[in-house]
Amino acid sequence: MTMIVQQLVNGITQGGLYALLAISYALVYGVMGMVNFSTGSIYMLGAVGGWLICHFFIESFFLSVAVGFCVGFAVAFILEKLAFRSIRGASRISSLICTIGFSQLINELVALTFGKATKGMPSFFSRELFSIAGVHINLLQVVLVLTVVVILIALQILVYKTRMGLAIRTVSMDNKAAGLMGINVDQTISVAFSLAGACAAIAGLAGCVYYRSVSAYMGWTPGIKAFSAAVFGGLSSMPGAILGGYLMGIIENFGVQIFSTGYRDVISFFVMIVFLLVRPQGLMGKKKITKV
Amino acid sequence: MTKKKLSPAALVLLLAVLVVLAAFPFIFNSYLLQVAVYCGIYIMLAVSLNLLIGYTGIFSMGHVGFYCVGAYTSALLATKMGMPFIVCFLAGGLVAAFFGALVGFATLRLNDIFIAFATMGLGEIIRIVIQNATFTNGALGVTGIPMPEWFGRPMNRVEFYYMVLIIVVLLVFFTYRLVHSNTGRTWMTIRDDANAAASLGINVFRYKMQAMVISCFVAGLAGSLYATFVQYINASNFTISVSTNIIAMVAIGGMGTVSGPILGAVILQILPEAIRFLSNYRQLMFGAALVISIMFAPKGLVGLNWKRIKPIAKLCALFESKSGKEE
Repeated sequence: MTMIVQQLVNGITQGGLYALLAISYALVYGVMGMVNFSTGSIYMLGAVGGWLICHFFIESFFLSVAVGFCVGFAVAFILEKLAFRSIRGASRISSLICTIGFSQLINELVALTFGKATKGMPSFFSRELFSIAGVHINLLQVVLVLTVVVILIALQILVYKTRMGLAIRTVSMDNKAAGLMGINVDQTISVAFSLAGACAAIAGLAGCVYYRSVSAYMGWTPGIKAFSAAVFGGLSSMPGAILGGYLMGIIENFGVQIFSTGYRDVISFFVMIVFLLVRPQGLMGKKKITKV
Repeated sequence: MTKKKLSPAALVLLLAVLVVLAAFPFIFNSYLLQVAVYCGIYIMLAVSLNLLIGYTGIFSMGHVGFYCVGAYTSALLATKMGMPFIVCFLAGGLVAAFFGALVGFATLRLNDIFIAFATMGLGEIIRIVIQNATFTNGALGVTGIPMPEWFGRPMNRVEFYYMVLIIVVLLVFFTYRLVHSNTGRTWMTIRDDANAAASLGINVFRYKMQAMVISCFVAGLAGSLYATFVQYINASNFTISVSTNIIAMVAIGGMGTVSGPILGAVILQILPEAIRFLSNYRQLMFGAALVISIMFAPKGLVGLNWKRIKPIAKLCALFESKSGKEE
């Protein structure tokens, strides 16, 4: 029983990271209809930004989160302006290849400048908050979960309550019709893409604080796992992506308990493939009917 | 369809390339020979992936998985059961094709982006299972894979190079015939519009499956050659980055052309060796190749309009002057 609750707590903490990344995939998929493979690299950039602040400036968690947000937003903004805008008309395979290329490019550039070695992150809030019947809960876990929840709520308010959010939802439905209704499609896509980048970068920062390590290649696995989580919950629905992220975190932690740790990465892929076969639209997504 | 005939000049060029390749071991040292063998293996991988990405429109990111299966099948048959090379070689291809059929059965009904991630996931699952299973020696890998024997002695590296060369030439010839056959044209129809193809009475799933099986068979053969040549394999040699490297080769050379992937594989394999300082930036170069090819040359190097540059235009005129009129 203790073990189950402990794994649940760990799963929710980890699931928060996946939820942030999954929502990043869902936002981009919504407005641009493409999967941004470089999300994992932006995750890594957020972590590196936070590490630089902690290493050279001041060891502050909240400042790092703010910097992570800025880094992710800026990088995604530049990527969209420079590259993805010009290939918007290309086939989905081409744009996927392009994002894979950027992912590799960013990872390697960081590996060259930042170094390939894994670097340690200072520990924040490591004090144990409380432990009930053998279940240990860190202050760090509480802070991470709260940070993620606050960001997710803010994002929901932005998307469902503001004019910008209305524009984002409209472009997701039909970008040509949205353009005809007087919405600035380019600007909307740019904002949504940058927000997605910011989410990914904050996830990266939270990830590096949680695991206390930063490296140039750290974004690869979480990026793919979060995509599995997004597929699991429903790539076309934002609440679905959040749900998928949390469930994936929990499933993974229980899976590791049942199987060995060597198979940790298999679990999320397996869930994704099963869902692609049985329910491709995910838990909460709507089925799309192709019209010729 | 009228067949394009090769002009005498083009024939001479082709022959010259073949002669240089045949004389390769006598001109260059054994290190370059090794590079050439890798080049041949990567040509096989790029050509086979091109059948999926370029001709059928199946974006597979799990190609490395089949390469891995081929390599392990061949290595285990050779070391544990002492099978002769030809059996290991064919078994590598067949087992990879069988896995390809399984994966295809699971994924080929999905749409393009989801195929990419599903195949990538399956490729990773294959690697992780091999890394953790006991019959594959786990993380230690398989060592002491023997070179193929002939005339009662093990083959040396020069002979191995010739064997790879012959296999690659046969493969390219086979691919050329295949994509210009009925099957090849059906694949291209499916790539351009699967719905239209289905309404013309084409069994889309069957043809996609066919492409998948053929492509995975070739990838398995390449894996077998790799395992035999390197004599030591480890699951960590078969990560996703190998898949993205092959995709980079296909994309930079030109998707959906016969010569494109060959060109891409040769360039991306030779470049880091030829220019010393580039070898540290190998992966960076692959990433750049992917980005550049999509943004600036969507049809790859083969599809660029080379004739804009005058000397090349003159050269082309020399090759094409006779062939153009015969059509």
